[in-house]
Amino acid sequence: MRLDDFIEDFQRDEAAEKRRLAEEKSYEITNYLDEVEREFERAVSGESLFGATAPEIFVGRSSYPNVSTGVLSPVTDGDAADFATSGEWYQQGLGVSEVLQRRTGLLNSTRSANVDVRDVWDGFVGVQREVAIADHPVDVEVGLDGEPDIDLSLDDVGAPTGPRASAESATLAENPHVPRPVKKTLEDDDWRAEGAMTYLYRRGFDVYDINTILSAGALGRGRDRRLVPTRWSITAVDDTVGQFLRGGIRNASTISETEVWYNEYMGNRYWVVLTPGQWEFELVEMKAPDSVWNPAGEAYYLASAHEGYEGRTGYVEETAGAYYASRLGVLEHLNDRGRQAKCLVLREVTDDYWAPVGVWQVREGVRNAFDGQHGETETFRQAVTEVTEQLPVSLGALRRKSELVAGLQAKLSDF
Amino acid sequence: MFNAIVSADTLQATLDSVSVLVEECKIHLEEDGLEIRAVDPANVGMVDLSLSASAFESYETDGGLIGVNLSRLEDIAGMADADQLIHLELDEETRKLHIAIDGLEYTLALINPDSIRQEPDLPDLDLPAQIVLEGRDIDRAVKASDMVSDHIELGVDDTDDLFYVDAEGDTDDVHLELTAEDLIDLTAGPASSLFSLDYLKDMNKAIPSDAEVTVDLGEEFPVKLHFEIAEGQGQVTYMLAPRVQSD
Repeated sequence: MRLDDFIEDFQRDEAAEKRRLAEEKSYEITNYLDEVEREFERAVSGESLFGATAPEIFVGRSSYPNVSTGVLSPVTDGDAADFATSGEWYQQGLGVSEVLQRRTGLLNSTRSANVDVRDVWDGFVGVQREVAIADHPVDVEVGLDGEPDIDLSLDDVGAPTGPRASAESATLAENPHVPRPVKKTLEDDDWRAEGAMTYLYRRGFDVYDINTILSAGALGRGRDRRLVPTRWSITAVDDTVGQFLRGGIRNASTISETEVWYNEYMGNRYWVVLTPGQWEFELVEMKAPDSVWNPAGEAYYLASAHEGYEGRTGYVEETAGAYYASRLGVLEHLNDRGRQAKCLVLREVTDDYWAPVGVWQVREGVRNAFDGQHGETETFRQAVTEVTEQLPVSLGALRRKSELVAGLQAKLSDF
Repeated sequence: MFNAIVSADTLQATLDSVSVLVEECKIHLEEDGLEIRAVDPANVGMVDLSLSASAFESYETDGGLIGVNLSRLEDIAGMADADQLIHLELDEETRKLHIAIDGLEYTLALINPDSIRQEPDLPDLDLPAQIVLEGRDIDRAVKASDMVSDHIELGVDDTDDLFYVDAEGDTDDVHLELTAEDLIDLTAGPASSLFSLDYLKDMNKAIPSDAEVTVDLGEEFPVKLHFEIAEGQGQVTYMLAPRVQSD
């Protein structure tokens, strides 16, 4: 499809989507929070011990290596598995407020623990690790120490977490089922974490599962096993699996046309431009004034990060976890096709994205951009010029911010 | 057979100018000196180096090819003071390089040359502009540009007879102009190309500040940077592919 036809097609749907998002922004979440509080009071009233089904864990990062570590469990009724972050949320079309509802419905029963968990399989941390490696939510009994503190916390990388309560103890109320590949990585304490992560990925585990397992310190060489703060572990898994996939296309032949793919999710617009050539990747983010990460700004805030054929050596100073999450989505697509390409991801964060829900939203937004149709152009330059007309920034501003828009790296053998 | 004695600073300069691009390389042992040609894995930057036998205190070989891990060899060479002599001797049977520095002996395991990335063909470039300038001017341009951007434009203005450097960042710009008087020599011609600073920074590290550097440029073409090391006994040419704006 020609790029201009492609753009026209989805512009028609955009107006409807905008109305829907505007309604959603109605701050019904504050009413909902009051309700959550009542639910919690009922569930934990007067009793220090309560039964729960825990689908996930959380590891904090402040005061590392003595971190706050917890099991997350829904207090409201419903299938506990629905409360765990995964690509399913995208498939179900969850919006910002629905994600916040799910996550605020999770009680985080926490305890402080040292991250060194080499042989710890008993006590609170042991139970938490069992929850992490199991393939379904686990019934646990948590002994609370005091009332939950209803406090919604948001993060740009991790999914939001809900109320917290400090826990004295946790015991398993069932024998959790651990999938065979996870047992294998768990038992092999000579296996470096990077290799174990890609092994699980190749065995069909999505990055969400791997992230939880890594976070519980259940991967890696014995002496290196640590609880990994959730935020760090998300980025580590996206990066490691991404490097593995990048290796897979290193010698692949290149795509033949310049392609433009598009997706919009939760007030985030993703333009993915693929163009022939050897692997190069860049994420450029444009954050609207009044969107969550640019609340006081008057102009669009631009951030970018880039890598060449051999990847990055330095730390990603801008765009953080979104860089690795979007790169993963693109690399999965290229691996499916067995091709390499130069790739520019443009992410526009509109003010409809009113609360951060975590980088899973970026990952799924980019992954699913490849589901529908795409537009094609003769050259990369033409694609960027046409796409820029849809963006809130000028081509000049984009060129200053973007390495790929400034110029595509040629090879010596091209001359 | 290979048996040579060379001053530490000559060996270090030779190794440094290759190691900025690759971790391993093949060294051709020719009767009239050493030759190294290597390209980085992305096929973006290339080095072509020769070090004449006359750069050595003594040099004997009947030809051969060895593969080395550059950072290992650099570490060893770094054990010597600049004016000390380094003795290199190849053990044909064990395929190891014996290195002696003032009583310190080191045996370096060599790499099978077949396992090292193939040496590139030299692109045949006909570049219209040539600039000859001091290494320190390149250093100044690269350092300043790096403060604002990740890429740099090198060009020649052939109406005003000057060489210019441009770097555009998010908000800040760097511009440098060197006229024919500021340069050692200038052959003006239509030339402007954009380059990744990542590569140019690395190449710049190996260019001595007092070296006379010959820069060949074209329109969206690779740049050639040529300079001498070891008091004129060594020749180094870098080639760097541009970032292309017109595609």
